[in-house]
Order: sequence, then C-alpha cells, then structure tokens
Amino acid sequence: MNYNLKKAGSSLLNALSNHSELVMEAYFSGSINEADYTPKVINNLLDLKVIWRPENERQLRLRPALRTLLEESLQDENNRQIDANIGSSLVSIKTQAEHYKEALNAGRFKEAESMLSDVTERVYSLTDMLATNVRLLWSRISNEFGYVATVDAKIRENELAQSQVSELLNQLSMFQFDQLSDISGSHRELRHLLVVTLQSSFAHCTQELSLAQAKLIDLLGRFREFKGRTRLLKGFVLHLEQNPSFAPQNYSTMSNVPALFNVAENTIAAAAIDVNNVEQEQSLLEVMSNIKHVNRQRDTRTNLNNASPLTMQDENAIELQESLLKSEVDAFFCAVIDSGTNQTALDYYKAKNLDFDPEVWLYQVIGGFHGLPEQDKSYFALETRGVPDPVFSGNFVITDIEIGLQ
Amino acid sequence: MISQKGIVLEKLLSGHFICETTDEDSYRFLKTSAGRMEVEAHLAVLNRQLTHAAEEQVFFASYQTIGETERVKLGKQFEDVSNHLLPLIEWLLLVQESLNNDLSLSQGMNLRLNELQTIIEDTPAYAEQLNKISRYALFGSKAAELDAQLKLVFKRLVELGYLIKPNQDKQIYTVTGKIDYLFDVLKFIDETEQLSLAKKAEDAMSQSDLI
Repeated sequence: MNYNLKKAGSSLLNALSNHSELVMEAYFSGSINEADYTPKVINNLLDLKVIWRPENERQLRLRPALRTLLEESLQDENNRQIDANIGSSLVSIKTQAEHYKEALNAGRFKEAESMLSDVTERVYSLTDMLATNVRLLWSRISNEFGYVATVDAKIRENELAQSQVSELLNQLSMFQFDQLSDISGSHRELRHLLVVTLQSSFAHCTQELSLAQAKLIDLLGRFREFKGRTRLLKGFVLHLEQNPSFAPQNYSTMSNVPALFNVAENTIAAAAIDVNNVEQEQSLLEVMSNIKHVNRQRDTRTNLNNASPLTMQDENAIELQESLLKSEVDAFFCAVIDSGTNQTALDYYKAKNLDFDPEVWLYQVIGGFHGLPEQDKSYFALETRGVPDPVFSGNFVITDIEIGLQ
Repeated sequence: MISQKGIVLEKLLSGHFICETTDEDSYRFLKTSAGRMEVEAHLAVLNRQLTHAAEEQVFFASYQTIGETERVKLGKQFEDVSNHLLPLIEWLLLVQESLNNDLSLSQGMNLRLNELQTIIEDTPAYAEQLNKISRYALFGSKAAELDAQLKLVFKRLVELGYLIKPNQDKQIYTVTGKIDYLFDVLKFIDETEQLSLAKKAEDAMSQSDLI
C-alpha cells in the first residue's frame, strides 16, 4: 500500500471538509469570489486540484470531476449531462484484461492480482455509469423537463434527450460479447466480470433505454399537442375579435350529426323514497334527522278542477262489515245498561249467537269502550279477565272482558 | 348493492361525461370491451349508444337514431355549446397565462384556487380579464370583488362538469376529461369552418415578436 498516496488522499478529504462552504458556494454559483477567502486557502485548494482557473484573469471554478461527484451524490437535477463514452471504457477494460492474462501466464501473481482489481474497478464504474445515465434520463422524463419553463424549451430538451438516447444505444452496440468471451477465456473471475456482469448491465440498460425512448417520443407528442392547443385557443379568440358576429353553423341540422355534438339528454331523475321499505327505514330516518327545517305549511287552496261532484249514493251498498260489528258492540253496551248488571263480552257473544271471530269481537269491545266519549265512558267500568302468559313473563293474555255500570 | 354496470349506466343516462378523473372505476369498466358491450345493450333500449371523444379519454351517451325530437334537443344543446365556447376559451387562456407554464389544461391537472387568485390579484390585466369573463351569461356574476368572481367561475365550471373538487375542504380543483372534449369541439369547428385558427395565432405571435 502506498503510504504517501494514502496520506495525500486523507489530506485532500480533510481540505474538502474544512472548506466545505467554499466548495458548495463554487458548486452553486459556478465560481468563487477570491476576495472572500485568504490566499493561503485558495492556494491550498489549487494545489489539491479541487478548484482550477480555466484561463488567466478568469474566476476560479470547481474541478469538473468534483462537480460530477457532488451532482451524483446529491441527485441534483442540474446534472443534465450524460456521459456516453462507453467505447473508450470498453477498450481500456479489454487492455487491462489482456495485461492480467499475461501476468498470470508469466506467473507474476502479485501483479496479476492488482491488474484484476483494476479490471473490476473499471467494469463496475462502467456499469455504474450506464445505470446513472439511465436514471438521469428517467428523472428528466418523470418531471417532464420541469426545470425549463416554456413548452418550446421542453421540446428542445426532449430532442436533446432523444439524441442522447440514440447515442447511448449506438455506443451500447459496441459491446461485443463474443470478443469479451474470447478474452476472458477460461479465467473464472474474468468471465464473471466481462461476461456476466457486463451482460446483465447491458440487458438492463438497453431495455430501460428503449422504454425511455418510447416515453420521450410520447412526451414530445404531448408537448406538441399543448402547443397546438394554445395556438387553437389564441386563434379562436383572435378570430372572434376580427369577426365578432362569427357563429358556427348549427351542426345538429346536418343530415349526419357529428358524433361530437350528438350528446344524449339526461333521462334519469332521482328515484323516489319508498316509505314502506323496512330495510331502508334506518337510512331514511338518518336523512330525516338531517333535515334542518321541515316545512309543514299545507297548501290551503283546494284544486277545484280535481274535486269530483258530491252525489248521494245508496249508503247501504257501501256499508262494510265492520259497521255490523260496531252496531253489535253498541247493542252490547245498551244491553249492559238495560240489564244493570255486569256482563262479560263472551257471554253476550254466546247468548246472541254472533258469528264473528271471538277475538275480533273482544278487540272491538275494548275499542268500542275506548272510543266512547269521555262523559259516556265514565258510566261504564271495564275489567279484563285473563291469565299471565305461562312462558313470557309480563304478558297478560285477555280471555274475556267484563263490562259493568259504575 | 348497485353493480359497476349500474353506476355506469346511471351516469351515462344522467348525461355525465365519464373520464378517468371523474370516476376511475367506471372509466376502467368502459375501457374493457366486455363492459362496453354490456352497457351498449342497455343503452340501445333507450335509443342511445356509447360514444367516446378525445382519444377515448371521455365516454358519453349519444342518440342512436336522430329523429325530429332528438334534433330539436341537439339543436338547443349546440346553441349552448357555441355560446359557452368563448367564455370557456378565455378562461382557459387566463388560467394558462397566469400560471405561466404554457401548458394548456388537460385532464388530471390540478388548479389551486389560492395560487391563481394571488397571481390574478397582483396583475391588473388578468384581474380585468377575469372581470370580463365572469360577466358572461355562462357565469353571470354580478360581484365586484375579484374573490367572489373567481369562486363563482370555478363553482359554475364544477357544475358544468369541467372541473371537480376532490376534497370539499380544500380549494384545489382537478380538470376533467370534458375539457379535452371541449378542445375536440374547437378542433372540429376549426376544421369544418376552415378557420385555420392555429395559423392565425402563429401569424399574430410572429408579428408581435417583430415589434
């Protein structure tokens, strides 16, 4: 291990961390204001090749390598450059591989080991470069070139990206796996690096690139459409300004109405409430409780047109059976008054040989009693006879009713 | 429970436009050919058929055969469309210019009312334009304050189905596919009447560039 190199490396990293503010200022503003820093600091950084002066009398700038490092680590979208120099990397990988094989054949194992680590480094940096380039493309696509404002600029950026994609694809065609396979021969490590790693990275990259290309073309179409749309809008306003009386002819009178203007009217109105639907009771109640104000004002006007003329008809014909029951109850109450003694409803029922259902009869008697005017009701006393339900406690089953005078 | 087909049918028969923004489930249902066939069969009973516009981005119901009554209804509708065209287009341009991103509105874009309001308030020309737009019969605003005008315009656009408000508590609106339909209408008029609107706009823009 080279001790001196190691020491120089750590002093460079220390310098970067000590002057991180200067570095970041240079990163963001592009150059450094030399007056802000002492000459000692500036000279130190110049010696370490962190910053450089492109020409005399020009301001100091950050070294491109450092800038790239920062852009990649920070995933800054300013990093819009795609480095597509795959050819030279491939050539140097091939050369290094040849070195490694030669060293191995000559039995210089120490040297071969360091050669192999060189090849590994280069292969991985190549795959990393491919991955970064693809990621860059996608990040640009995914924010739809959001870093430029106008559609025209977006279109230009899109065209640039497309040319970069085709450039990348061209360069990718330089991968000749038969050659790489020949070079790696029977060496296991070399084969793994040159064939397996590169091939998987290659396959991944080409696939992503073809997807990106399709997406870029799609986006370009969209941008063009946006432009077209804006022109259409502006043109229409302009046209109306020049010809205020312009109105398109009514296309619905054409024999063949264009599909665009053939829009059917709405036919469905809201459904009505079904108050008899028990299942909906809960939700209907909720709706009811949400009604803030129920307007109960009735329409006092009677619709004369709908009122049918009142005609006297044969009353008996429409008399219902209930009235028979009712009159029988009335007769029962009269019988109680006449006799002056207590009578049960069922006894009367049997005595008169009535043919209603006994239960209906009992109900009607109770109903008849409660239906009496308050004054008349006070003359009578009603007592129910029955037994508590044998199964369900608290229920009283009425078997008969006794009516008497107070 | 009502099935997806039922929801789609109800929307179509109520005269709604179905797009991905307004009702994603229904839109997906209509994107399948089986779903379309099912719906078509039901619509045919009512003399209606499924139509799409803006490259299948919006679906709506149209008449299958056009008789006299249908023609009268379509004629009335068309009158509405052509009357709405100018206010809508001026509104579209206003939004586009004030957001300054050169992108004309299309389905799925979000509009933040507050953001728009700040920009329009700060620029007298836009405020004047908004004032003019809000007076059109389509919007019918009588308000003098910019805030009320803008809110009314957006409210009307929601009613007409050009925008939806996904969250009732937030003043963020999403553009529906009906806007894309509007562009189709405009394109159609441009072609049929041979107005060559795009060229006119370009000529005008290049002239202003020269000045």
